[in-house]
Amino acid sequence: MTDVDLDAVVADGLAAVAAAPDLDALDTAVGGLFGRRGAVSAVQRSLGRLDEAARRERGRAVNDARARLQTAIAERRAVLEDQRDRVVLAAEAVDVTLPPRTPRRGSLHPITETVEALVDVFAGLGYTALSGPEAESEWFNFTALNLPRDHPARSEEDTIYLEPLTPGGPAWSTLLRTSTSPMQVRTMLATPPPLHVVVPGRVFRQDTPDATHTPVFHQIEGLSVDTDISMADLRGTLAAVARAVLGPATRIRLLPDHFPFTEPSCQVEAWDGTRWLELLGAGMVHPTVLEAGGYDPEAVGGFAFGIGIERVAMLRYGIDDLRLFSDNDLRFLAAF
Amino acid sequence: MRVPVSWLADHVELPPTVDELAEVLTLGGLKVEGVEHPTAGVRGVVVAEVRSVRRMEGSDKLSFVEVTTGDRDYGIVCGASNFAPGDRVPAALPGATLPSRDPASPEPVRIGAKTLFGTTSNGMLASARELGVGDDHRGIWVLDGDAPLGADLAEWLGLDDAVLDLELTPDRGYALSMWGIARDLHALTGAALRLPAEPHAAPALPDGFGVELTDPRRSPRFVLTTVEGVAWGPSPAWLQRRLAAAGMRPIANLVDATNYGMLETGQPTHAYDAARVAGDRLVVRDARPGETLVTLDDVERRLDPDDVVIADAEGAAGLAGVMGGARTEVGATTTTVLLEGASWDAPSVNRTARRHGLRSEASARFEKVVPDALCAEASDHIAALLVRIAGGRATARTDHHPAPRPRPTITLRPARAARRLGLDLSAARQAELLEAIGCAVDADGGAAAVRPPAYRPDLQIEEDLYEEIARVHGYDLIPETLPSTGQVGGRTPQDTARRAVRTALAGAGWTEVLVFPFIATEDLSALGLAGDDRRRRPVALLNPLSKEEAVLRTTLLPGLLRTVAKNVNRQTPDVAVFEVGHVFLPPTAEEPGADSRQEGAVLPAEPTFLGLAAAGAFAPERWDAPARAVDLGDVLGAVDLVARTVRLPGLAVEPTDQRPFHPGRAARLLLDGVALGTVGELHPKVAAAFGLPPRTLAGELRLDPLVAEGIRPPAPVPPSALPSLRIDVAVVVDAAVPAARVEAAVRAGAGDRLTELRLFDVYTGPSVGEGRRSLAYRLRLDDPRRQLTDDDAHTVIEAVATAVAAQVDGTLRR
Repeated sequence: MTDVDLDAVVADGLAAVAAAPDLDALDTAVGGLFGRRGAVSAVQRSLGRLDEAARRERGRAVNDARARLQTAIAERRAVLEDQRDRVVLAAEAVDVTLPPRTPRRGSLHPITETVEALVDVFAGLGYTALSGPEAESEWFNFTALNLPRDHPARSEEDTIYLEPLTPGGPAWSTLLRTSTSPMQVRTMLATPPPLHVVVPGRVFRQDTPDATHTPVFHQIEGLSVDTDISMADLRGTLAAVARAVLGPATRIRLLPDHFPFTEPSCQVEAWDGTRWLELLGAGMVHPTVLEAGGYDPEAVGGFAFGIGIERVAMLRYGIDDLRLFSDNDLRFLAAF
Repeated sequence: MRVPVSWLADHVELPPTVDELAEVLTLGGLKVEGVEHPTAGVRGVVVAEVRSVRRMEGSDKLSFVEVTTGDRDYGIVCGASNFAPGDRVPAALPGATLPSRDPASPEPVRIGAKTLFGTTSNGMLASARELGVGDDHRGIWVLDGDAPLGADLAEWLGLDDAVLDLELTPDRGYALSMWGIARDLHALTGAALRLPAEPHAAPALPDGFGVELTDPRRSPRFVLTTVEGVAWGPSPAWLQRRLAAAGMRPIANLVDATNYGMLETGQPTHAYDAARVAGDRLVVRDARPGETLVTLDDVERRLDPDDVVIADAEGAAGLAGVMGGARTEVGATTTTVLLEGASWDAPSVNRTARRHGLRSEASARFEKVVPDALCAEASDHIAALLVRIAGGRATARTDHHPAPRPRPTITLRPARAARRLGLDLSAARQAELLEAIGCAVDADGGAAAVRPPAYRPDLQIEEDLYEEIARVHGYDLIPETLPSTGQVGGRTPQDTARRAVRTALAGAGWTEVLVFPFIATEDLSALGLAGDDRRRRPVALLNPLSKEEAVLRTTLLPGLLRTVAKNVNRQTPDVAVFEVGHVFLPPTAEEPGADSRQEGAVLPAEPTFLGLAAAGAFAPERWDAPARAVDLGDVLGAVDLVARTVRLPGLAVEPTDQRPFHPGRAARLLLDGVALGTVGELHPKVAAAFGLPPRTLAGELRLDPLVAEGIRPPAPVPPSALPSLRIDVAVVVDAAVPAARVEAAVRAGAGDRLTELRLFDVYTGPSVGEGRRSLAYRLRLDDPRRQLTDDDAHTVIEAVATAVAAQVDGTLRR
């Protein structure tokens, strides 16, 4: 055993490793070299019988042989592992086009979505967003807004009235607000000028629902009062908002209009590429309204506007039937 | 207001095209909603004279009519018989066209020769309606006796005329007349006006028929003109054509003159047959209790003492400013007309018109203030027209003007106007703009005294003048400036929290809906709410949209349940919806309504609620998993998500057996010991009452307390760097002990070092004993100061065992 041919051990070992067809065979071959009875182990054991100089020389040769074999084993192992992985992973393949496990998703209503979009824009301009009661008194809804006692909007054909809450209370004195404008006066009474607020909310009219009418709809009221607010400021503000909400190329124009609570008053229209569309009513706050809010119309002035949310939503989403917003059909709402 | 362009052209120079005219008016505040050409399709229709009329054999309706156009004769078969030889009529000769009356096919209708009962008809004779002139189809349109024979009808009557449809704002009453629109056009474009000279010179006539005004505040002026020797008959064709184009039906000259005059001047007038007026005077007074009047529309009206009437010796003869009476109406036998041109108190006319449901052309004008000055001027103008088309002459004129309504003089501060408008306009330019609409401007240094013209009673305060300055100058010339608000703005913390809650729910599979807030009181009994429940006392509507839903919601549930039912019926069985909205509750001391600022007017409390409703599968069936039906866990999970979104640790949950819920499957939710609401599976009876599938879930809770502090700040704890201790404990308790109490006991036992707790198994079975169940919890404990050991684990387990024994009479499975 002393003169085992190291070169032959290496050559046989390399051949066995190279010939191993799979990882099990490779492990067997490795056992044949480095196992207890392995060829390399046998050579290792034989070193003890040599003198020191021969042992050193022979030991160096054995180490070289071991390194060559281990390199070959590692390389062969890598090849065989790749081979095995290819087969195993191929068998584990799945159809990645099957429907995924998407978490259930709901949606926000297009109307509140539009309200939030508008509030975001006004917040960016420094407006504070507030909300107010939907049931109102005749005083806040009409009188404080400078609607004369005989104004047709006060009639029961136009406005939904509440039965008095106290027995014998005055009839026709409480109602469902017909616009968000009562909040102009509520806000002025609660806050000294300057004032820059928007008030989104739900409003009510006596109306039979059809494609273009609805008894319940939404507005966002705007009120900006300071010492030097002008109608040019009104126009600039609404132009900026229209561009933000309807697209950067949006153009607006002002037409003379009439509202009891503003003077001068205007209708704001937006150009949709083919025609002018009514967007909202606005104007400079009427001195009587400022006074109702406890403000001095000589000291301050301002503008107010009421944007129809449904109208903006119809423009944004290309919808032409108002009833879709109140129908609450999930097939429609799923789009938002 | 419908405006035939040719009529307007009588009074003012027009821009070159109708489109430009429409644009100028629209930008000037008289909005043109549409432009029509009602008679433009008339081609090849000529004025013909009837020579003979002969019954056709074999027909009991048709006649054979011979007509001449002067140079040629035609035989035409005709179904009408309202004419005689010598009459001049419109003949549509073969090749002529008439306007289409079918909006679906607007192409004009072509007329040819055709054979009827073996006779050739060379064209047809046309009714007014067939020519697009109004809606009279009772016979052939018999034209004026002096209509030019053989003339092209379209050319003679100007049938290519465009008609503008104006949508006017209520302040611009003056624009309900050709005169008023002409004045505005003059102001907006500088075009020359062709109006009667101002000031108006009254004709020199003696006082006539007696007039007595009992309350000058309600009838500030009353002009009564006597026209004698008139003859009832059709109006000339040009006048009929214009009246029809303006939307009024031609009747006969005595009536048409007042209507035409009203459209031209803006002053409604009324013609009485003098022979039918009893006594020697007209008295303007309040109606008497019980008094009745048959108005021109042949309706008998019971008058209200607030109505103003014009009465003769026999009683009411007209409803002031609204409609005349049938008894004194003009007719075929009338020879003398009393023409009333009055001004009335606008609110009175408004009340009367509304009370009697009678909105006439006259009341529409009087409701907007017809100025005193117009009464006399327009009366004279209309009397002259009456004479022109009905003969006779004006013989007397009574003018009572006991209470001239003051015309204001308004102080204009040009610097303030420029500042408020954001328009750099000099005082002189502002004066010029106001003078263009007829104001007298007396400038005196800083301020100017402005006297609006009589036709503009709407101009009352300084700001009214600002609007006129901007309007005549051009609203479109107002620049766009974006002011700084000088503040940060944004949402309130509560609004931010509400938005976050809604967004979180939408992200978690719930669809937001918005439901009308009207319900039926029956809905509240269908929910099974207790009789003394505050929600059983809804706010009722005095004039609801529908009798079925006549009260305001006190709970979001009926609307949400109906929404679920509707979607399920539309084959969308898997529904999970939520709504954030106001409910309306009777106010209490703790929960009052908003301040009404009005004596005795009490507003309901309007808390904001979050409502949820779901049915069907929450996780629909998939290729790799069956459907999972929605259950209480999904709804409680949504509520938990809401609480966590505003960073509350979660709401306390306790069982409840209250309707509308399943007595064993509903949870009351509490925040700091205060109940916010209830969610649960609906009681089967409630589900059935609302037409819902079994096992529908719903619930609602007050949102205001949840968002009162906005989204709370997070309280982060730095994680421990040392390894955690993980312990599983299984607690066996009586099956009736709520899990929440068991969990509380485990937490108490685990102590401060507990960082996570999860219930991972609930087991009932023989190994835990009859009537008991096992709840298994996985705990994680951390101590940043030292490594936790097995000894610590033993200590914790013993502490948990002690706590569950003490608090829920439980034992640990070991």
